[in-house]
Amino acid sequence: MTTSSVPEATGGPEVASRKGDVAAAVRAVGLVKRFGALAAVDGMTFDLAPGRIYGLLGPNGSGKTTLIRLLTGMALATEGHAEVLGVRMPSRQTLARIGYMTQSDGIYPALTVGENARFFAAAYGADTGPSVTAALELVELADRAKTITGTLSGGQRRRLSLACALVHRPAVLFLDEPTVGVDPLLRVQFWGHFRALADGGATIVMSSHVMDEADRCDELLFVRAGRVIARGTGAELRAQAGMDDLEAAFLAFAGDGEVAA
Amino acid sequence: MNPRRLRALISRVVAEIRRDRPSLALLFIAPVVITGLLTFILREGDTPDVSVALANEASGPAAIVGTALTTTLEDEGITVSDVPDEGTARARVEAETDSLAIVLPPDLASGGQITMITLGLDPGGEAAQLGVVREAVSTAVAGVTGARVPVVVRETIYGTGSDDPMVAFAPAIVAFFIYFFVYLLTGVSFLRERTGGTLERLMATPVTRGEIVSGYTLGFGLFAMIQVAVLLAWALGTIHVPAIGPLPEFAIGLGIPVVGSPLLAYLVVVVLALGAVSLGIFLSTFARTELQVIQFIPIVLVPQFLLSGVLFPVNSLPEILQPLVVIMPLGYAVDALRLVFIAGADLASAALRWDIAVLAVVAVGFAFVASRTIRREVV
Repeated sequence: MTTSSVPEATGGPEVASRKGDVAAAVRAVGLVKRFGALAAVDGMTFDLAPGRIYGLLGPNGSGKTTLIRLLTGMALATEGHAEVLGVRMPSRQTLARIGYMTQSDGIYPALTVGENARFFAAAYGADTGPSVTAALELVELADRAKTITGTLSGGQRRRLSLACALVHRPAVLFLDEPTVGVDPLLRVQFWGHFRALADGGATIVMSSHVMDEADRCDELLFVRAGRVIARGTGAELRAQAGMDDLEAAFLAFAGDGEVAA
Repeated sequence: MNPRRLRALISRVVAEIRRDRPSLALLFIAPVVITGLLTFILREGDTPDVSVALANEASGPAAIVGTALTTTLEDEGITVSDVPDEGTARARVEAETDSLAIVLPPDLASGGQITMITLGLDPGGEAAQLGVVREAVSTAVAGVTGARVPVVVRETIYGTGSDDPMVAFAPAIVAFFIYFFVYLLTGVSFLRERTGGTLERLMATPVTRGEIVSGYTLGFGLFAMIQVAVLLAWALGTIHVPAIGPLPEFAIGLGIPVVGSPLLAYLVVVVLALGAVSLGIFLSTFARTELQVIQFIPIVLVPQFLLSGVLFPVNSLPEILQPLVVIMPLGYAVDALRLVFIAGADLASAALRWDIAVLAVVAVGFAFVASRTIRREVV
């Protein structure tokens, strides 16, 4: 399974620089994904450093989910390519070091909480003992291990979904709208988990269309119409746009983007 | 193929089915109830209630045929009412006073036709009545003319010599139900995997497509194997339960006589069921909702039912349909099961080996095609 043959131009120098290059945990090189006439991802190039939390911010339909699917190798790029931990995606081996929390919960309602976590641990090739316990403790579901998942509340299912994404202690964690439908208290807990994982060296890439939680990310990428229209910390982006809040800053950049396009 | 991942997939599929009570009922109880009902209907079916309006318009010596016919029919337990003419007879059938009218024409002696009149709303039931009456008419005519009607005895090369209608029917029914239920359950549960986001998530792990299809095939295959064992035991076995207290003695099981090895029959059905798992996975690609999985039944399963000799003998099908018959997996299973059940074939039989080989190729082929459908859903 390979990408299209178009953008091999940058391949040479990158291979050479890759060995010493631990700077980028995730790299997008001229990524394009077209569905017919629509370019869901329309030329993205960026490097993301390890141990940091990145927020992909943009309205619904701006290409965030498609970008994450390209980065995880779930979708094939029309042009360009994605690299995770220095390996060109899609790579099945590299998937063992990636965690992916989909927008839907993506867990089995008929299984117990423990069975779900153990199943994904086995699928990732992790141990089904201590790792599972640790992941369930992290999301505070260890005491519900024998509960049938279908009977959990929405917030508990979201927590289990997160546990299943990090049960194998991934080096890179992709989270697609992880806090959608999560109550404010739980959201605070989630952010505590994310920060702890990043402090432990994991790179976290999350998508969101909620601006108020974006400030918790180390760095933000504003995504609009399949392009990254701005990048920086929340403070930097506000300052650049001359706005007080991120929403206004986004709109200011989006306006520029339209003029540029 | 990583054994640890495969084991995890199998035990997950098994855990899911085990907790799904309605599906378990569908797998184990439904086929038993339906085959039981069918057997009861076929074996215990009564001769339909026939009452005859007889218009004897024949004159002269031929009129005795009417009397003889009345006697013969009444000997069979059929009510006969004499009516003066054809018009009255028709009116009685139309009013449903009688189920059938027989008109003996005035020119009966010189070769006139005997007419039988029915309502025409229930062709199957009326055909059965006509059979009874036709036999009585020939007996009556023979009695009057003094001719002897020879007794026809039927013999078969294969078979247990019993006239149990289930002997020929059971192989087809067993094969069809296994195919149907395994397809339905796999199709629906794999669709849930696709729409519930778990397949997407699973594909984001190092699990391979081959492992997923194998996991499903072996997980569902396990239940199919138990299902087949239960259904075969029910269809072929008989356990006599003696009278206990007020309960009269009764028997559990249909006790359909089988000449060949039940184990061989088991093998045939299991190979068929494995093919049904892959078919379910494959067709779930084209469905968006569980209802659509059901909607595939008329397109995929009903033609197999019609073209595989379950109801209609394959060689009686129109010539133009014969090429379709060749590609129906169910047909090979029905054929193989009949060879085993009725002809007592074993693996020395080339025909049986061919049937099993085709079923195995279909199962493996569909598993391959099914695995190809998995990564395709790039949204």
